Amino acid sequence: MGKKLGVYICGGCSIGESLDVARLMSVAQKEYQTPVCRTHPFLCGDEGLAIIRKDLAENGVDSVVIAACSPRMKSAAFNFNSGMIVERVNLREHVAWCHKERDEDTQMLAEDYLRMGISKAQKMEALEPLAEGISKALLVVGGGITGITAALEAAEADYDVVLVEKEPRLGGSLAGLQKLAPTHSPYTELEDNLVFAKIQEVSRHPKVKVFTSTRIVKTEGQPGIFDVTLQNGGAPFVQRVGAIVLATGAKPYDASKLAHLGYGASPDVVTGEQFEAMAAAGPLTRPSDGKPARSVLFVQCAGSRDPNHLPYCSAFCCMATLKQVDLVHQRSPETKTYIIYRDIITTGQYERYYAKVQNHPATFLLKGEVTGVRNHNGSGLQVEVKDTLLGEAVRIPADLVVLATGLVPNAADNDALRILRDAQATVRKNESATQRAEAEKTVAKLQCHAGTEILNLTYRQGSDLPVLQDGFPNSNFVCFPYETLRTGIYAAGAVRAPMDYARAQEDAAGAAMKAIQCVEMATRGQAVHPRAGDLSYPSFFLQRCTQCKRCTEECPFGSLDEDEKGTPKFNPYRCRRCGVCMGACPERIISFKNYSVDMIAGMIKAIQVPEEDEGKPRALLFMCENDAYPALDLAGMNHVTYDPNVRVIPLRCLGSLNIVWIADALSRGIDGVMLMGCKYGEDYQCHFAKGSEIANRRLENVKETLQRLQLEPERIEVWQFSIDEYGKLPQMIDKFMNRVRELGPNPYKGF
Amino acid sequence: MAETLLVEPDSAFINDVMASGGADLKKCFQCATCTSVCDLSEDGLTFPRRVMIAAQWGLKDKALADPGIWLCHNCGDCTVNCPRGAKPSNIMGVLRKEAIKAFSFPKIAGTMVSEAKYLAVLFLLPILIFGTIAAIELRHPLVRPYIYAEVFPASILEPLFYAVSALAVLGFAVGVTRFVRAMRAAGVEGRILPALAPTLVEIITHRRFMKCTANKDRYLGHLLTLCGFVGLAITGTSVGIGTMLDLMHTPLPFLSGWKLFANLSAGVVLVGTVLLIGDRMKSPEKWNDTTYFDGFFIVVLAGVVATGILSELLRVAQSAGLMYSVYFIHLVLIFSLFLYAPYSKFAHFVYRTVAMAAARDAQLKAGAVTTQSVNA
Repeated sequence: MGKKLGVYICGGCSIGESLDVARLMSVAQKEYQTPVCRTHPFLCGDEGLAIIRKDLAENGVDSVVIAACSPRMKSAAFNFNSGMIVERVNLREHVAWCHKERDEDTQMLAEDYLRMGISKAQKMEALEPLAEGISKALLVVGGGITGITAALEAAEADYDVVLVEKEPRLGGSLAGLQKLAPTHSPYTELEDNLVFAKIQEVSRHPKVKVFTSTRIVKTEGQPGIFDVTLQNGGAPFVQRVGAIVLATGAKPYDASKLAHLGYGASPDVVTGEQFEAMAAAGPLTRPSDGKPARSVLFVQCAGSRDPNHLPYCSAFCCMATLKQVDLVHQRSPETKTYIIYRDIITTGQYERYYAKVQNHPATFLLKGEVTGVRNHNGSGLQVEVKDTLLGEAVRIPADLVVLATGLVPNAADNDALRILRDAQATVRKNESATQRAEAEKTVAKLQCHAGTEILNLTYRQGSDLPVLQDGFPNSNFVCFPYETLRTGIYAAGAVRAPMDYARAQEDAAGAAMKAIQCVEMATRGQAVHPRAGDLSYPSFFLQRCTQCKRCTEECPFGSLDEDEKGTPKFNPYRCRRCGVCMGACPERIISFKNYSVDMIAGMIKAIQVPEEDEGKPRALLFMCENDAYPALDLAGMNHVTYDPNVRVIPLRCLGSLNIVWIADALSRGIDGVMLMGCKYGEDYQCHFAKGSEIANRRLENVKETLQRLQLEPERIEVWQFSIDEYGKLPQMIDKFMNRVRELGPNPYKGF
Repeated sequence: MAETLLVEPDSAFINDVMASGGADLKKCFQCATCTSVCDLSEDGLTFPRRVMIAAQWGLKDKALADPGIWLCHNCGDCTVNCPRGAKPSNIMGVLRKEAIKAFSFPKIAGTMVSEAKYLAVLFLLPILIFGTIAAIELRHPLVRPYIYAEVFPASILEPLFYAVSALAVLGFAVGVTRFVRAMRAAGVEGRILPALAPTLVEIITHRRFMKCTANKDRYLGHLLTLCGFVGLAITGTSVGIGTMLDLMHTPLPFLSGWKLFANLSAGVVLVGTVLLIGDRMKSPEKWNDTTYFDGFFIVVLAGVVATGILSELLRVAQSAGLMYSVYFIHLVLIFSLFLYAPYSKFAHFVYRTVAMAAARDAQLKAGAVTTQSVNA
């Protein structure tokens, strides 16, 4: 390879004082014969950068190893022309700032890091960004307040929008409401329903194509080049879009499951939705006999926050009920309104509205649990409430009982649909009686999901978005709202999380922004969150593919489809560049130009392992770049010391860990391997959703490798780590090193 | 399972409370901050929170039978700490008024005293009575030295005031009986008579007032008012009995023991009431919160003492026109003070004593008893 490597060692930020830079330079020059090796006391300054630029321009250097601060720092300064290979060696946060100055172990650490960096740089290739014709149009699915807002936000930012609504009219669940709870100062007055004006606005907007009574037949392709087939009565037609906002909203929880609150027993027990319709129709009366309703009792959390129904808070009901109470009192101040609640949850400024509605003399709030709603001698209902703050169980007469039913997302459960589809196929094939019986059971159980498809993706991993246990699309709501497990598809509004119409509008703007970001990044061939801007993508050496399908199954984002034989078909724009496929592949045929199994193996090989009698153990730390690696940087910034016998290799995601590296390390005499990934499970923090969990699963197989090598399993440890625990990291490393010392040296040293 | 409480909010009661100083009643959202700062709340008892919700829900019987409202000395800590501005201590004050009104006998008297629109009628009665007496007596020319008995002879005043006192005692007797019955119905079991003496000592020494923090300025004013009033009550009664038995002759000489004691007492009450009124006036907020009901009593009491002292001075000055006019007002106010005592804030002295005695006897704060009865 006609590669010309330049190694640049910074002497600033106490690196020069802590380390013997001359010896470092001789590592590069003598061991690796790097044609160019220079040092400068202030490498990221104008003068230092000028030296590098001069080498690039005049001396033909095309690959650069910067041995200075953490790769998380000064990325703009050390960003040279595109096509240039740049590898960073972290001598500051991971060496000079956290280990003994002018110490032999510290020097050995720095030299190893330099060797690892040079070794990797030697194997790296220049990146060639993807470049296909990208559509910047957006598809918004759902014409409720969220969808309309998302469409308008994107259209106002000058993007073409296709807005699809399955119902004949826009407006979604707000369309049936006369007035809305306040969302503006002073937060005490009912507001006109804004959705009607927004419907007008979106219908007239020249950048928005609105399709009502329309469903999505299928969605093919990938971000930037989605081909969405729509149908509204006539022949199907295709729209090309770049990204999708899923704003399908939510529906009320099925009140027929709330018999314990009297629903179904009397026509005078209605849902909040029915109450709105009654209020819109005219004076409030009892449905049973048409007499005026002189008292209305509202039951909060009807289904919500109930382990037997909806475990979550539906977020909109408290304000909705307060609004309904306000509506009642605006018409007839004498009508008694009761609210039976577990907690009134009115966050932020909404508290003002709560205070205002509560202040009405005929509003009665009572914390307690409704135990029954009974007909009382035909004179109306009596609601029984226990554990009340009145100090005893009570009965409250009411003409009308309104259940504040929670919300259920209008999402399709991708995994259930996929299992259902597979089971149906098994039944059709009818290969064996037992298989068929099993499959029929599955079909019966999941039949309720049939027909719930929304996006109808033609992805190998299923037709819609994977959801969480409560039916909301899977996303890390705290760290990465709107993101889903399908790149370029962003969930917003009540389908994403329980929320009211005010937050849904903010959500819509946020998701529209993410969708715009996605098409813009795609245009430049760059990855989206969390490796935003990354130009690398995996390539597949398919001649050696055994069609094991691990990559297509394990990709958290469904990037890989398959042909009939099961050979992976890569869709690069769906890819988030995490490398989980690379870690999955037993044939090791998946590589990035700047990140591959071979490169990491080379880095491991570059580590100098001292002889057994030197008493210098070596441990390898595979660290997730997202939380663990920055945490170690923080330890460095705080100048916290830890054992200098560890060598850190950053991984894009712990899920990109190929277990061959562990075997490589142990067989080279490295005494221990520590793996640090993000927390996984129900409240996962993995930036690639499933990566750390998959890595953990793969390690089951490593035990086998250890047995084969006759090594103690304690030499390998896996940690789930979140960045806020950075203070504990140095102790964790030291503890591990102590255990490694107790185990004694790896018998494979010197082989 | 025991029959559960049927809840039917009494809107009239709610409106009444909100209109007479309890405008913030509905603001309470049951966080129980008041309970956590209230001295009366112990061992999971939830005063004043439980009274707040009972009042909010218009559960009149429950709220007014609660002895807690009388154990409350309006220290104001709950109001200061209430995150919603519901002013629980004010609500307790209004509920005390509501209780006095609800238990009053005859009911009409309770209504008339508690509502400002009847103020003129209240004073019209004594004005007519004393006006008639004066008109009859003034048919004869006045002779020096002027004495009050010339126009308002003791032979008429004495039986008149005995009758007024008897009516007041009757009013109190029926009212307290009703109150005790309500307490018993709510499950408060403490006996009253055995604990009366220590309760009175506690009241006279103002031990509870000393615990007040937010409203601590009232301590001196209330102490002086009460002590002075007791002094006046003792002299008034003694002199009344003394003259009736012909052992004493009014006007008493200035240097007589009784006279000195009476003047001292009057002075103390005057200072006390002026302090109390001043305390309310000095902060606009307290002044706004001051209800007509509280004001009526304190102003009449202050008026009685002020006109009394003035009458004495004018008698010495022998200014016939002025002295009889002032004395006339003095008599009208005394008459009002006594006749309306069971229906005005005056009655708090009696109701509070009864409630405190019951609570003391139960060896528990009254709340414990109510809660127990609820659990039973």
